[in-house]
Amino acid sequence: MSLDRPVTVSSSSPGAKAPGILNTTALRRGFEGVHAADDVSISVRPGRITGLIGPNGAGKSTVLAMLAGTLAPESGRIHFEGSDITSMPAYRRARIGLVRTFQMSAEFARLTVLENLLAASQMNRGDSLFGALLGRRYWGADEDRLVAEARALLSRFGMTAKESDYAGDLSGGQKRLVEVMRALMLHPRMLLLDEPMAGVHPNVVHEIADCLESLRDGGLTILLVEHELPIVERLCDPVIVMAQGRVIGEGTLSTLRLQPEILEAYLVG
Amino acid sequence: MSLYVAAFGFGLVIAAVIAIAAVGFTMQFAVTNMLNLAYGQVMITSAFVAYAVNSAGVNIWICLLVAAVSGSILSVLLNRFLYAPFQRKGIPLVGMVIVSVAVSLVLSNILLAIAGPDNVSYLQSSGPTYSLGSFQLTAAEIGIIAISIVLMIGIHVILVYTRLGRAMRATAANASLARNSGVPTVRIVDIVWLITGGLCGVAGAVTSMNSGSFTVADGSSLIITVLAAAVVGGAGQPYGAMLGALIIGEVTSLSAAAISPEYEQVAAFGLLIAVLIFRPRGILARVGVGSSPK
Amino acid sequence: MSYYLVTIAVYFAVDAMACVALNLQFGVAGVINFGFILFQATGAYVAAVLSLPKDTAHNGFQQYVLGLHLPFPYPWLAAILVSGLLALPIGLVVLRRLRNDLQAISLIVTSVIATLIVTNSTPFLNGAAGVALVPAPFAGHMSPTGTPYEWLYIGVAFACAVLVLLFATRLTYSPYGRTLRAIRENEDAAGALGKHVYARKVVIFVVGGALGGLSGAVLVGYIGFWAPSAWLYPETIILVAAIIVGGRGNHLGAVLGALLVPLGFEEVTRFIPQFGTSGLTPAIEWVVIGSLILGFLWFRPRGVIPETRRVFGPTRDG
Repeated sequence: MSLDRPVTVSSSSPGAKAPGILNTTALRRGFEGVHAADDVSISVRPGRITGLIGPNGAGKSTVLAMLAGTLAPESGRIHFEGSDITSMPAYRRARIGLVRTFQMSAEFARLTVLENLLAASQMNRGDSLFGALLGRRYWGADEDRLVAEARALLSRFGMTAKESDYAGDLSGGQKRLVEVMRALMLHPRMLLLDEPMAGVHPNVVHEIADCLESLRDGGLTILLVEHELPIVERLCDPVIVMAQGRVIGEGTLSTLRLQPEILEAYLVG
Repeated sequence: MSLYVAAFGFGLVIAAVIAIAAVGFTMQFAVTNMLNLAYGQVMITSAFVAYAVNSAGVNIWICLLVAAVSGSILSVLLNRFLYAPFQRKGIPLVGMVIVSVAVSLVLSNILLAIAGPDNVSYLQSSGPTYSLGSFQLTAAEIGIIAISIVLMIGIHVILVYTRLGRAMRATAANASLARNSGVPTVRIVDIVWLITGGLCGVAGAVTSMNSGSFTVADGSSLIITVLAAAVVGGAGQPYGAMLGALIIGEVTSLSAAAISPEYEQVAAFGLLIAVLIFRPRGILARVGVGSSPK
Repeated sequence: MSYYLVTIAVYFAVDAMACVALNLQFGVAGVINFGFILFQATGAYVAAVLSLPKDTAHNGFQQYVLGLHLPFPYPWLAAILVSGLLALPIGLVVLRRLRNDLQAISLIVTSVIATLIVTNSTPFLNGAAGVALVPAPFAGHMSPTGTPYEWLYIGVAFACAVLVLLFATRLTYSPYGRTLRAIRENEDAAGALGKHVYARKVVIFVVGGALGGLSGAVLVGYIGFWAPSAWLYPETIILVAAIIVGGRGNHLGAVLGALLVPLGFEEVTRFIPQFGTSGLTPAIEWVVIGSLILGFLWFRPRGVIPETRRVFGPTRDG
């Protein structure tokens, strides 16, 4: 059930606007003969929650993977805060402030919730072979500081009681919160969230949405890949629409709804 | 030079034998996504079952059928009662390696306890030798190659021209999608283990025919050879396994002629490592690269 | 002290070291080193050829390289170093982005290839016959026969085992250990949080290999000879079984596993009367080991002493 003819819409590159915190230029990636992502140029503005939506097979996951660094583009460039990160490996992107979460639960199951958060930090002297051998006297101070920071996060997100539970024993929504908190331990400048509401109980969805809004209000930039349009409507401004690997529109959801090409892409695709 | 021609010919026989085994092994991998390291043991067990029947006076070529049946039964039981339950439990891929190694340990030692450690041979005659220049093959070797070709063609026909084959390919490509499209994946998996188990049994008997004498301990080197052929050709791809078998067969035979017989295994296993390092997908398929989930 | 009890004690120390080392790789970091025995073997061979003199008795009835006749502790230090160095290229190659199960199989095959090469090249390490008459490490200080020497050796072996255990524990119960465990749980997520997963796996592979080498040196110093038959790839399986049974990720569990499986198992069968044909008993041993692995993986995958839950005390104010 795919579009048989290309969507005839001008893929307007948002180049007229001010360059954002994350910019891509003509990203292209094929997969088994199909253009999974084709000439994708997007610009994510700082301090906002930008949505990335589109029907199945639109290429959202491909673009996200390229932004996160787990998939290499065949052509095109990615700039983050002014630097070209196109060939930067995934683990280094996290260190410069671009952090992603996963669509499928990616918690460290046999670590406690607190340990999940502690494991995320890059600022622990004990996190090296020799640092570990030098013992607690060497890394104890860092550890205590991070424990306090992690506990503050847990308290802010209402998960203090779960501190010593194994992350694998949590509910789906709680696991998502742990992943977000984990990402926050890295003091990110931008979050790439891959369908954080998937499989989450409707009550918890609103909690997570509240958290994301408060994070945005605190100055964090978020790129949100999401299927649930009500969530997108509540949280995202602007919204980027993709179909068949190309960007076919950008704007608020209400204005996009009025564009026939967008509707067509969603109905048919 | 004639040494190499003869070695090449012998390599074809080895390739024929490995091909039967490797195709079965790789198809098991394709549909269940696990590397059945007990495959070598099932091969040798079937060889021994055939031996038991052969010792009672039955012609060796008929015993091949016996080996096929025993391989089928054993393989289906293995999957039904061990592999599938463990996989359903959610054990990661590495855990399944441990499971299959444990299974192969249990299997080989039960066989050892029953059959004893001694070398045995089939009652068979090689038949007349046919020569073409330096190319020399006995009638039995030609028979083995013939059986191998027939089985390869049979697998090809099943995969491409039958509904069963289409269902098998669909299950191998994407099991949940296949299930949602109405393919009875559980039954298909059973059938795959039945067929590949048969291949495994025949391969075991044929290998043992070819090597003259055989013993329980052969199972462990067999699995690595089969694995090498499957991975070199491209894990999960039957045609890859055939190609891999040809390569491994010739590499083994030619290096035995060129260096020394003791190093033939090193050459084959070294090739396996080299492929895993430089081209884990193998020559034909798309599997191997990328981290597995946990 | 009966020779038998001394032997058991030394074997226990050696197996405990090996299990802890493998536990670091497999239980803590999730690096399945199915070729582990190769590193114990490397340590044993290195210690052997460095402590052996150039020519052994009977006009060189055995061939081997080096033969530097070095005194203790140099052969043992070299054993640790060389095993670790050997682990480096192997780890760099195998631990790249390959499916975990193919990684495991690559390591089995590496172990098998090594056995084949050593067996078939006699001038290297005397082939299938192995190297014998390895000098006792402390012969310079006291007579190698007799009770005092036995006590000394037990003491040294246990000291090494305790050191290895302390080392491993310190690593594991630290932020570094936590990162390793995170990698074990989900490599992709760990990478997404900034950890260089590949590098860390290689490092722990090398560390575990080096410790395995030490266990080999201690073993060969006691039994005085070493041959390919002592390090066939199923030996790694026994150690893996020990960790699965004893407790994955928990070093005390690994030690318990060493007591129960390689040691306890082998010793218990010694007391069972021979029945059936010779060779039946070892076969049944292997069946039981295989069944133990399957049984524990099914019913109690965490092992007898599972990994402990890390609980943090109240934060100090300030």
